[in-house]
Amino acid sequence: MRGTLNRRELVRLAVLGLAAAPGVRAAPHASPVRRGRVGVAPLAAPAGRAVESGSARRAISAALAAATGLGDGRAAVTALFRPEDTVGIKVNCLGGPNLSPRVELVTALAALLAERGIPPRRIIVFDRSSRELERAGFAVRREGAPFLCVGIDNDYDREPSTSGEIGSCFARLVSTTCTALVSFGVVKDHDLAGVSAGLKNLYGLIHNPNKYHDHNCDPYVADVANHPFVRGKLRLVVLDGVVAQCHGGPAYRPDTAWPLGLVAASTDPVAADAWAWKVIDAERVRRGLPTLAQAKRPPRFLATATRYGLGVGDPAAIIEVRA
Amino acid sequence: MTATFTRRDLAVAACAGAAAALLPRPADAAPPAVGAPVPADDLPAREASWYRKLPEGRVECQLCPRGCQVADAERGACGVRENRGGTYTTLVYGAACAVHVDPIEKKPFFHVLPGAQALSFATAGCNVECKFCQNWEISQFRPEQVASVWLPPEALAAIARKKGVPLLAATYSEPVVFWEYVRDAAAACRAAAVRPVVVSNGFIQEQPLKDVLPLLAAIKVDLKAFSERFYREVVRGELKPVLKSLEVIRASGAWFEIVVLLISGLNDSEAEVRALVRWVKANLGGEVPLHFTRFHPTYRLTNLPPTPLATLERSWQIAKAEGLAFAYLGNVPGHPGESTFCPACGTRLIHRIGFEVLENKLTGGRCPACGRMIPGVWS
Repeated sequence: MRGTLNRRELVRLAVLGLAAAPGVRAAPHASPVRRGRVGVAPLAAPAGRAVESGSARRAISAALAAATGLGDGRAAVTALFRPEDTVGIKVNCLGGPNLSPRVELVTALAALLAERGIPPRRIIVFDRSSRELERAGFAVRREGAPFLCVGIDNDYDREPSTSGEIGSCFARLVSTTCTALVSFGVVKDHDLAGVSAGLKNLYGLIHNPNKYHDHNCDPYVADVANHPFVRGKLRLVVLDGVVAQCHGGPAYRPDTAWPLGLVAASTDPVAADAWAWKVIDAERVRRGLPTLAQAKRPPRFLATATRYGLGVGDPAAIIEVRA
Repeated sequence: MTATFTRRDLAVAACAGAAAALLPRPADAAPPAVGAPVPADDLPAREASWYRKLPEGRVECQLCPRGCQVADAERGACGVRENRGGTYTTLVYGAACAVHVDPIEKKPFFHVLPGAQALSFATAGCNVECKFCQNWEISQFRPEQVASVWLPPEALAAIARKKGVPLLAATYSEPVVFWEYVRDAAAACRAAAVRPVVVSNGFIQEQPLKDVLPLLAAIKVDLKAFSERFYREVVRGELKPVLKSLEVIRASGAWFEIVVLLISGLNDSEAEVRALVRWVKANLGGEVPLHFTRFHPTYRLTNLPPTPLATLERSWQIAKAEGLAFAYLGNVPGHPGESTFCPACGTRLIHRIGFEVLENKLTGGRCPACGRMIPGVWS
């Protein structure tokens, strides 16, 4: 079911020129959107440890290039974003310092956006709360360079907005401020949703995610992603898979985390999660754990997201392109 | 956060409720001062009373019928209970986000101290999501998203006593999600000769309900419809556990009243209302007050009109015809359905307009004309 918009939202989207955006928003210049394709690049580091900034830059760039089929990360970012964009990078810091997107990787992506001509004040790294950001190692910053970094804290729309089964107040950063979004997640098991990667990360955009945990978060995760605030703006998913977790999420558990050693990127948000599902299940099988389906928590929302036309949700159909 | 108490009230509460400083708190956190804002990034976590531990650090909530199984770092559907390393915690104990003095008729209770005032309080959170929620700005938000002040149970009792308010009402959002706070506030009020009442959706497991009922002077239950479909699609809850709660309350002997908010086209058919009324009469008796109240568009149901008066009156007539002695209408100021009439002789016993009691003829809980006993909490 498509999201519905009130008059205020329609005006807002019309102003942004996004009302007619189908699925993952197409590139302003080239055509970098690759449905079903996930680019991955190697990067090794222990849980919670920083990576060297040059390595982070190379990994991000390589993953973006592999995801888009373009020459390098800079070309990919040029195709995906415009200098006049305000880019929100939603990170998922619930897992704390050991299972959140690394600051160096996020910084590397922000640098690519800056090279695209987007000023630091229009590159906004954010999560649900300032406290979670700080706990994961991010410095909260409301001005200055190289990017802003803020918690949503309590800055939500005053009225709820409906998309499918959800009725939620969206972060004003998403509904009003940003013209483009990046979901920067991790690769981990989720006790209810099955997988928490790029799509489940979007629960952090709404004020009431706790209401939408039934039935493996289906159709709710897909409904959030299908809301025009998100569907019309989400250009890219990046996953910090340097360390992944195959069981016991969303909190960090050292016994079920493992060094996957990859950074993944995709312009197809559903494919990114389908890839994460495949990776997590492979590790579960290797450890003798039941698959997510056998554990009665398959990421059902992927099929719904596929039905909504948001991307490719069948793990078997994912094209993994190694850098 | 809105409050009608003054700084001085809070000072009084701080002195009288000094014991509150000894309430259990995380080892590394001092309690906020009474009346001080609760920091959004450092909520006062306290171990929940109704849950069980599961393997691998997970927990199962045993407070409401959802029975949420919650992994570490996650919250239940109510949004106010969080698994912290295998210990289930409530994040709203003592964190009041709304405090007002209201007439008891506003809850509504029509058979509890007519015309009395009630110190009314709430925290953030709810265990259902009614699309017609009037208080969604606190009930549908998490505690860190709503401004709250630290008012431990003893402080609530002290404020009520100082203001000369005879009742304390847990209301506005959903008391079930702050049930430990309700329990301890009720106990503190009993000691202070203040009577605690609760306004609830009744969506609660049997044991926690039984644990707290003996402390309450009265409970009002919102019976939101008489169909599972409505509960599933409009409330995101279940009807059956609510009916069970009503039976438990009835069996306990506690005073209770029932409210049904009628919404056009969703729960107001003649057949559904009649089935509801018959169930009430058969299972709870003919003396329980049943209020039909008018819906006004809000939250996620802004596309529906207010309930027509004719629908309300039809439901009122059905209840009377089916043998309920005390059927009422709500949100229709000036209507006779707001007043209490003697079911035996028809004398108007309590004349109400809106939340105002204009006249109360009850004498010792009886009709002065025919002597018929009128059930309730009258003195």
